[in-house]
Amino acid sequence: MIHSIIERVDMETPTTVSILFPWDQDVLPGQFVMLWIPGVGEIPISLSHTGRIKGITVKKFGPTSTAITELKAGDRIFFRGPYGNTFRKTEGKTLIVGGGSGMAGLLPLITQESHGVVSARTKEELLFADRFSQEKLTIVTDDGSMGTKGFAVEGLKTLDLDEFSLMYICGPELMLKSILDYIADKEIDADFSLERHMKCGIGVCDSCSMDGLQLCTQGPVFPKSALLKSDEFGKERISISGKRVRL
Amino acid sequence: MANIDTIITGIRLANPLMLASGILDENGYTMKKILEAGASAVVTKSIGRVERTGYRPPIIAEIPGGLLNAVGLANPGIDNFDHEVEIALQAGKPIIGSIFGGTPDDFLYVGKKMEQYGASALELNLSCPHVLGVGSEVGSDPELVEEIIGELKKKIKIPLWAKLSPNVTDILKIAEAAQKADAFVLINTVRGMAIDIYARRPVLSNAYGGLSGRAIKNVGIRYVYQIRKETGKPIIGVGGIETHEDAIEYIMAGATALEIGTGVYSRGKGIFSEINKGLSSFMESEGFSSINDMVGVAVQ
Ligand SMILES: Cc1cc2nc3c(=O)[nH]c(=O)nc-3n(C[C@H](O)[C@H](O)[C@H](O)COP(=O)(O)O)c2cc1C
Ligand code: FES
Repeated sequence: MIHSIIERVDMETPTTVSILFPWDQDVLPGQFVMLWIPGVGEIPISLSHTGRIKGITVKKFGPTSTAITELKAGDRIFFRGPYGNTFRKTEGKTLIVGGGSGMAGLLPLITQESHGVVSARTKEELLFADRFSQEKLTIVTDDGSMGTKGFAVEGLKTLDLDEFSLMYICGPELMLKSILDYIADKEIDADFSLERHMKCGIGVCDSCSMDGLQLCTQGPVFPKSALLKSDEFGKERISISGKRVRL
Repeated sequence: MANIDTIITGIRLANPLMLASGILDENGYTMKKILEAGASAVVTKSIGRVERTGYRPPIIAEIPGGLLNAVGLANPGIDNFDHEVEIALQAGKPIIGSIFGGTPDDFLYVGKKMEQYGASALELNLSCPHVLGVGSEVGSDPELVEEIIGELKKKIKIPLWAKLSPNVTDILKIAEAAQKADAFVLINTVRGMAIDIYARRPVLSNAYGGLSGRAIKNVGIRYVYQIRKETGKPIIGVGGIETHEDAIEYIMAGATALEIGTGVYSRGKGIFSEINKGLSSFMESEGFSSINDMVGVAVQ
């Protein structure tokens, strides 16, 4: 295990914090670490900060993520990684689409030029919307408390996708699926960052697999072309016991 | 080209390299991918009678020379596994069903279903070291082993492979108890553990785990050699195989076929075709015309 001392903790939403820590390691946008809370558990977390100081942005959910959100500056954190692949690069304008805490892994990709579609259940849960300039931001909330009401794909429908050379998307798989379906016959290309159960992070346990590929070593980022051919994407996955379940 | 096919308990394998139980063999699509990458067969994850979620992560630690794991026999339960076998069978190669249980009745229930699903053989996990009441508890009790295998032999038609644990005082005693099996699989993981000195506690949530990979290769070679010499039974060698030299060492110690687990993690899915290439050129330059010509040549 690698360990580091937390330098800063930022509250991002009422349930989401960013934890910043020094780590002398090159990491790429899209990559993740397996973060260990001794005595509680270990979960995969995308790196939201990939510069000299590294960072993760975590939403309170299960026991391990809840324990992470309770960490303070000066506490020690344990992790292993970096694991996984990265996003393709492009010269042109990018469209960044994040659902809920999915925005965390997309943060390093945001530039002055990028347009954001930031979606969450409610306006309080919108993550990193303030990182985009006003005129390049589309907000979508499930409950309509801010921006367009509905799921992320509703935000896309308000935009002219031909303006962009590449889309970066991260969020729950069903959100990704609805976006894939929407852009399937459109010109625009896209990289999707997937989230599935990960027990090992190193391509051994098979818990994260899709179409025989391991999200932890061969993903988590997949291009539109790969997902269009997929047998399992947006449909089925393997549960923590190994049981095939519908998404 | 040297001929690298082999026959184990009547099952013809295009090459000696199978995927070992517990590594990338829970999802049918993954098993199919591994078969397409050159494995001659896959052994499924060990499946039991009922669904188990296993231990909570950390379930694995990367250590010098291999891996330490305590997955805790996570499995969907045999009744939920039919579809995975069906998908894996699409590759047109043998699927070996690994099964575990606490009683002869458990083994029989799960084994029957595996046979119905289309498995070519059953691999009996008598040796999983990390669940109380099953695994090593079963595999270190000669009477229970004999009873389980005797019961299965009466009611199952496909070959039975008994996978033995190296974590016993006298492996020969267990091999004798398992003598009705058609082949032995040697070895399962070796008991081990790792402590994080900054967290001041064991890394694995279960504390104890099983060691695999390079670190255990010479333990495996020793047991394959000993059991081959003492029993003459067909053996499937497993433990730390990463190169064609490792594979040949196991074959010369007495293995007719091999399984690779941790090597898939350290070398990637290409490991099967790489080793097969090396195996074939070694056989040509050393004048072996078949795998069978090499099996056990080192045994004195
Ligand atoms: C993560 C992991 C899970 C395993 N699960 C099983 C299992 O369910 N049943 C079993 O018989 N062996 C299991 N094993 C043991 C392997 O099948 C094999 O006997 C052992 O790892 C030695 O081979 P290797 O060094 O090539 O990995 C597991 C090994 C690993 C690393
Ligand atoms: S998390 Fe275990 S294979 Fe990906």
